[in-house]
Amino acid sequence: MPVYRRGYQRYAGPVTAHRHRMLAFPRHAWKRLMEQRLVVLVMLASFFWPLLCAVFVYLSNRADLLQGFDKAFVAFLEVKGRFFLIFMNVQSAAAVILAALAGPGLVAPDLTNNALPLYLSRPVSRFDYVLGRWLVLAALLSPVTWIPGLLLFAIQSGMAGWGWFAANWRLGAGVLLGFAAWILLVSLVALAGSALVRWRIIAGALVLAFFFVLAGAAQIIRQILRTEWSVLMDPGGAMYRIWSSLLGVEAPEGPGALACGLALIAMALLLAWVLERRLRPVEVVS
Amino acid sequence: MTPLRLRQALTLAWLEARRAFLSRRSFWVYLLALFPAFVFFMHGISVKIQRDRLSSRGVISAALMDSVRESETEAAVIARLGKPVNDFAFDRRAKQDRALVRRVNYFDGSRILVLTFANGVLESKRVRTLVNLEEDRAVFAMVFQNFYLRLAVFFGCLGIFVNLFRGKMMDKTLHFWLLAPMRREVLLGGKYLAGLLAASLIFGLGALLSFRLMLWEKPPAELALFWQQHGPAHAFAYTAAAVLACVGYGSVFLATGLLLRNPIIPAAVLLLWEGANPFLPSMLQKLSVIYYVQALCPVAPPPDPNMPAIMQFLFSPANPPSRLLAVTGLLLVTALVLWLAARAVRKIEINYSTD
Repeated sequence: MPVYRRGYQRYAGPVTAHRHRMLAFPRHAWKRLMEQRLVVLVMLASFFWPLLCAVFVYLSNRADLLQGFDKAFVAFLEVKGRFFLIFMNVQSAAAVILAALAGPGLVAPDLTNNALPLYLSRPVSRFDYVLGRWLVLAALLSPVTWIPGLLLFAIQSGMAGWGWFAANWRLGAGVLLGFAAWILLVSLVALAGSALVRWRIIAGALVLAFFFVLAGAAQIIRQILRTEWSVLMDPGGAMYRIWSSLLGVEAPEGPGALACGLALIAMALLLAWVLERRLRPVEVVS
Repeated sequence: MTPLRLRQALTLAWLEARRAFLSRRSFWVYLLALFPAFVFFMHGISVKIQRDRLSSRGVISAALMDSVRESETEAAVIARLGKPVNDFAFDRRAKQDRALVRRVNYFDGSRILVLTFANGVLESKRVRTLVNLEEDRAVFAMVFQNFYLRLAVFFGCLGIFVNLFRGKMMDKTLHFWLLAPMRREVLLGGKYLAGLLAASLIFGLGALLSFRLMLWEKPPAELALFWQQHGPAHAFAYTAAAVLACVGYGSVFLATGLLLRNPIIPAAVLLLWEGANPFLPSMLQKLSVIYYVQALCPVAPPPDPNMPAIMQFLFSPANPPSRLLAVTGLLLVTALVLWLAARAVRKIEINYSTD
């Protein structure tokens, strides 16, 4: 009997647990990513700044080494909210570059090669697909964002003692929450870029451009129209204000953390909408 | 170069340039190039609306505006200056003190006087210029150097020039060009010319349009004086700087697209390098495109006052080269990069399965 005459029936046998099906995406993608030299190189380079910060924490807690130094210098070495804010700022740039490298390869090839119907014909929903892809990026970005951040917080707590931890636990929570929000946003940008532009290179450039060009455009509006509210269209600037609020650091003039949070939620919804529009398991061939 | 090769390069440039100008993919390049012009246009409209609104509520003379002195009473000032264009009163409570504050504005056609009275006595006086040519020129310089050159031209050239070779590889159409009976160097030259034509026209005209819109709604006398003294020279300098940036970045991105399978990493490194330029040691600052292009700009932008203290400490822009040196230096670097790209293009072989 010719193949096209065969009637197909939906598979009715036993299936693995939903969680296992969804985790198949990150399991395979993660392995593929780690085979890319560039990704590994950038990831290794991203550990440089946390290492420097760890040295800073060590120095700031060695009072015997700081004897004889100027009071202003000793105050500069103090580990407080601003220290974590600078740390987060630098690592957030590393996260964007990593996402620009790794993100486009997650969705674009599936769209280019019409592989989406193959995935979605299995007992996996579109949400599972996106969540699976998002988990790949979250797992990739975590070692350069909140994990070293919490390690630094733990080192500082260990060296400064329980009193410091009790007084500053908010910093650790701020680092975790702040980076979680950043990972969510960066991953969404990378996935939406990858779904929007099927060329991996252009999608990577789009991720970089999203952050850098929007920051530049916000600066232009701020300078020309003399308004600080333009920061709402700058994802990095808006997130900086949220981090400042989480870490208890004085934020620059302009909209507060709530307004910035709402702007970022709007951006995330827009990106989710792009994903929803582009990730369809059907294609109309004209 | 023989006339035949020149003709071949020009034909190729014309074919590719048409694609670069009209393709749907290059739509975002226009957005990047015209965005500052759009914001300057919006600023012009906002100034016009504000001026019309204030003028309709009454204009006082400049001498009357300057006559207001500290600690004058509210009644005396209003009796002399007349009905304000804006009037706003509120209760101010700070710790033990409580004061009835009244804030009034007056307009003399170009300046806005903001007077704050507390309990009927003048507390503060502030004069704000509605349109200030000098201030707007400084803003334009900042926008042009910090956004237009470093981001818009950068990403625009990345999109246009990387697409010339890498884009064709991804489209699986580069072999058509490689099979054409022409030298590879001619192919490279033609494609570079096409990209340069598109980028220069889009970003050169974008810079010119932004400059013109920056001058919109300025006082006519001040504007006429500016056009007599510096206007044309500044307009030319900004356009030339944008074109020169396209020459420099274009060559780098053409070579990157040719030599590397993924040009994102070099692009990201170059973006950070060019962005961090004023913070680098002066020797290293000279190893960038922006250093030479900025030398052509007629106005140096003031440093951002919101810059963190540590950044202000590290901010040390090197002395700019002379204009002649800047142009010659950049053209020489471009020639070197194109020569390297020409050597690479001679050996290029296509294997679409790996690309």
